[in-house]
Amino acid sequence: MSELKRTQLYNAHLAAGATMVDFGGWEMPIQYPSGIVAEHLYTRHFCSLFDVSHMGRLLIEGPARVAFLQHVLSSNVQALDINEAQYCIIPNAEGGAIDDAYLYRFEADRYLLVVNAANTEKDLVHLREQIKAFDCTLTDISADYASIAVQGPKSREMLEKLSGGVQLTELVKNALGTVEMEGRTVRLAKTGYTGEPLGYEVFIKSEDAEWMWNRLLELDARPAGLGARDTLRMEAMLPLYGHEMGVDAEGKEIPIFSVPLAKFAVSFAPQKGDFIGREPLARQYEAFQKIQNRIYEGTELLPRRMMPITLIDRGVMRKDMPIYRGEKLVGYVTSGTMVPYYVAEGEGMATAYTDETAKRALGLCLIDADIQTDDIVYVDIRGKRIKAVIPRFHMSVMAPPYARPILYTPPVQGKPADGTGYRAEALELIKKAAENHLWRQKQCINLIPSENTPSRAVQMLCASDPAFRYAEHKKIAAFYDNEVFYYQGTKFIEHVEELLVEQMRQYLGATEVETRVISGQMSNTAVFSSLMDFKNRNNRKVNPQRLGYILHNHIAKGGHLSAQPMGALHDYVAVDPVTERNAVVPFPVLPENHYKIDVEETKKVIDQYRPEFIVFGKSMVLHKEPVREIRQFVDQMGLQTTIMYDMAHVLGLVGDYFQKPFEEGAEIVTGSTHKTFFGPQRGIVGVNYKPEDLKWNLWKTIESRAFPGSVSNHHLGTQLGLLMAAYEMNTFKDEYQRNIIENAKHFAKCLKAEGLDVAGDPAISYTETHQVIVNVGYALGYDVAERLEANGIIVNYQATPEEESFTASGALRMGVSEMTRFGFTKDDFAKLASIMADCIVRGKDVTEEVRKLRSEHTEMKYCFNDEAFNETLGSLMGILGV
Amino acid sequence: MAIPNELRYTKSHEWIKEEDGVAVIGITDFAQNALGDVVFINLPEAGDEVVAGESFGDVESVKAVSDLLSPVSGIVQAVNEELIDAPEMLNSDPYGAWIIKVEQINDREELLDADDYEALCAEEG
Repeated sequence: MSELKRTQLYNAHLAAGATMVDFGGWEMPIQYPSGIVAEHLYTRHFCSLFDVSHMGRLLIEGPARVAFLQHVLSSNVQALDINEAQYCIIPNAEGGAIDDAYLYRFEADRYLLVVNAANTEKDLVHLREQIKAFDCTLTDISADYASIAVQGPKSREMLEKLSGGVQLTELVKNALGTVEMEGRTVRLAKTGYTGEPLGYEVFIKSEDAEWMWNRLLELDARPAGLGARDTLRMEAMLPLYGHEMGVDAEGKEIPIFSVPLAKFAVSFAPQKGDFIGREPLARQYEAFQKIQNRIYEGTELLPRRMMPITLIDRGVMRKDMPIYRGEKLVGYVTSGTMVPYYVAEGEGMATAYTDETAKRALGLCLIDADIQTDDIVYVDIRGKRIKAVIPRFHMSVMAPPYARPILYTPPVQGKPADGTGYRAEALELIKKAAENHLWRQKQCINLIPSENTPSRAVQMLCASDPAFRYAEHKKIAAFYDNEVFYYQGTKFIEHVEELLVEQMRQYLGATEVETRVISGQMSNTAVFSSLMDFKNRNNRKVNPQRLGYILHNHIAKGGHLSAQPMGALHDYVAVDPVTERNAVVPFPVLPENHYKIDVEETKKVIDQYRPEFIVFGKSMVLHKEPVREIRQFVDQMGLQTTIMYDMAHVLGLVGDYFQKPFEEGAEIVTGSTHKTFFGPQRGIVGVNYKPEDLKWNLWKTIESRAFPGSVSNHHLGTQLGLLMAAYEMNTFKDEYQRNIIENAKHFAKCLKAEGLDVAGDPAISYTETHQVIVNVGYALGYDVAERLEANGIIVNYQATPEEESFTASGALRMGVSEMTRFGFTKDDFAKLASIMADCIVRGKDVTEEVRKLRSEHTEMKYCFNDEAFNETLGSLMGILGV
Repeated sequence: MAIPNELRYTKSHEWIKEEDGVAVIGITDFAQNALGDVVFINLPEAGDEVVAGESFGDVESVKAVSDLLSPVSGIVQAVNEELIDAPEMLNSDPYGAWIIKVEQINDREELLDADDYEALCAEEG
């Protein structure tokens, strides 16, 4: 093996007892003494180190670097921002793959391309030939830098120990970062070839490679070889050149679009222009789209596609084994082996992994395009036909911190209901509903910040007759914009809505209010739809343009679904043709406090993106939003940007103790009426437009996007209840709002004093809202929330801005509104803080303490409660039969 | 690496122990080490005929499949069913985890004693 090349970590592998093999001309560890199975499992539950220094690292610099890369790669290089990476393919002129690769942009003016070890020489020949036509350079820096893949749920924790707690990269896949680690500069990419949701590839100077390897071993990472790398990538359904790409079992070139990742790796963006293989790839893409629509005529370019495959009967698949459906040869296994996994117990968020392990025979295949998920096929394993199936996937990466194995289960047929015997079930339902009502209203301590309990008067009004009626209405210009109602019997309801609009106008300080939207999310949808309509009002003859850029709070930094492309923005946000991604940009947050918008950085973002729409507001909210500062800046810049404040969480705090959105410069306020605002569950839109304003027609559009755009029936029962809640709020808000803020600050301070890790800025007593956030440890949020619930305290488990997903939640999100409404004072919150610490920190059963504290507070405050009022309410209750 | 003295060995790394006309057959420590983690085994059934030098089954490791070659010709008396669910026993206890027992033996491969087998392993290792 003396001619084989060795990586910077060769000695480290020998020291660890690795079995070394020839891999593409490199002497590499196939496994270490613990074996492939143990290495695979350790990666999935802890963290493994893979020496990937054998891969080719090529630096591209010079004025024409982007043009060159656009020409030789399949991806849209211009879409790549600084500190981002992208998967790409190096296509040949025929639409096949010379190699697949990853492109990294750590700096503005240079790109790092990482290619497969065995293909490096071939790639270099190709790229050096192509680069002649471009004013840029290609340097092979493979010898100067080593790379180590650090993969597994503990990878971030371990690397952050070396960075002294400094954040490595943004939490999203393909994010990059450059960090100092114990005096050495380390470049990190949140990428990998294991499918781990937490995994990094680290680039480090060759002379520092052993240092990094050994430091991570000291932190309990273990080395893993090429064997585990292969089983891990197979389970993650990631293609390997030479298996799923390159040449197939019949010796034919595999078209790039046979591999599902091609969808992401190939771009036909206009600014990319022509590139090597574009024309055949465009034809493949056409065939690909047909196949996705289950049309198989004219798809000869893509006879087969890559799919996962798993054995139902016993055996092990290997590369090139034929696959049959009936007597017809339908494809070949491209990769296959037996892969271990940890056996899970429990369901959903309560899923827990045991120490028990098992194995399953899985692989990847190139199979006829008309074969679908759940189809049964047979693999010819050395002459025997073994039953197999095409599963949806082998594994899911969507629930960090773990990559979760998905074992194949056949589709189940639901049993049709027999339609009899429901009386007993109906009775049971009544009993259960009564128990639930009693528990949530009188026995448990509810700290969900997005909830509240409406007063008895509100509850009764919600249940009264309007709950069963219709009252569609619309302003009609022919009648001087008077409301015309389309139903009879609605005079009372009509009056109620007029009064409600007036109360809410007064409360918000708005010129106009729309109350027909029945949720906060619907309020936003109606506004987004109106903005888009307003944008396109001067040309109705073409497809309307969507909105963009939009400045919003990212969901990972406390933003809510109702202002995300995956939520309410979905149908209204444009795709930026340059990045080929949604035209949204998040508010920058302060490095030392991810809950707070960084105003100065935001100004730079506004200057760069010129957003047409800015949405303030979030669901994890500790601070006031900088509406005034941003309004001033936008005006100063002379932008027509529309500024909206989604006050869903904080609608009940509008006023002296929190924010006055319209005074500060918002044009539109949306919200839900049942969080800090203690009404029934509805939405609201308020604006400050006047008839003489340019955007007055935007307000008119908002009205029509409420009705007939969003609702026909606008839930008249809760609209009636909301009017009562609005009377209560306008009467008691001063006392209520002051107490909410004081209680929240005091609760936060007491929790801190009890030894809990309270998030936020101690200088402002952690919060300026009703919310308090407590960190309980990475991925432990759900368990702690469950334990609290078992003891009678209801909280949200919540991912902080430092966590990848709700499945990795490490915090509790709490609000003081409902308990304040039931009369909790600062002293009560101090008691509650101590009870919670007993439960969370000291593991005590606090059921009795919770019950006692709660039982002292069952009478609703901040509502009308005098004798005469209660007498009249009593007669309504009598009529309702309560 | 263990090479017990009382066993005989094939060049293809099976071990064999003959007692009272019955041959107990397994794979050696060297073999399991070279294979890596064994994840699957294909076994014959009792009553099947096996032929010296020919395959009577196979073992699959994560990396690859290997034929099991019979050191003797005869009839399978018993197979170690435990291995079906726990093939990793071939890694953890190669000389305890026998694979098949063969009776009515009528032919044999050339077998090595422990010393010769050790020399063979040294050569291949």
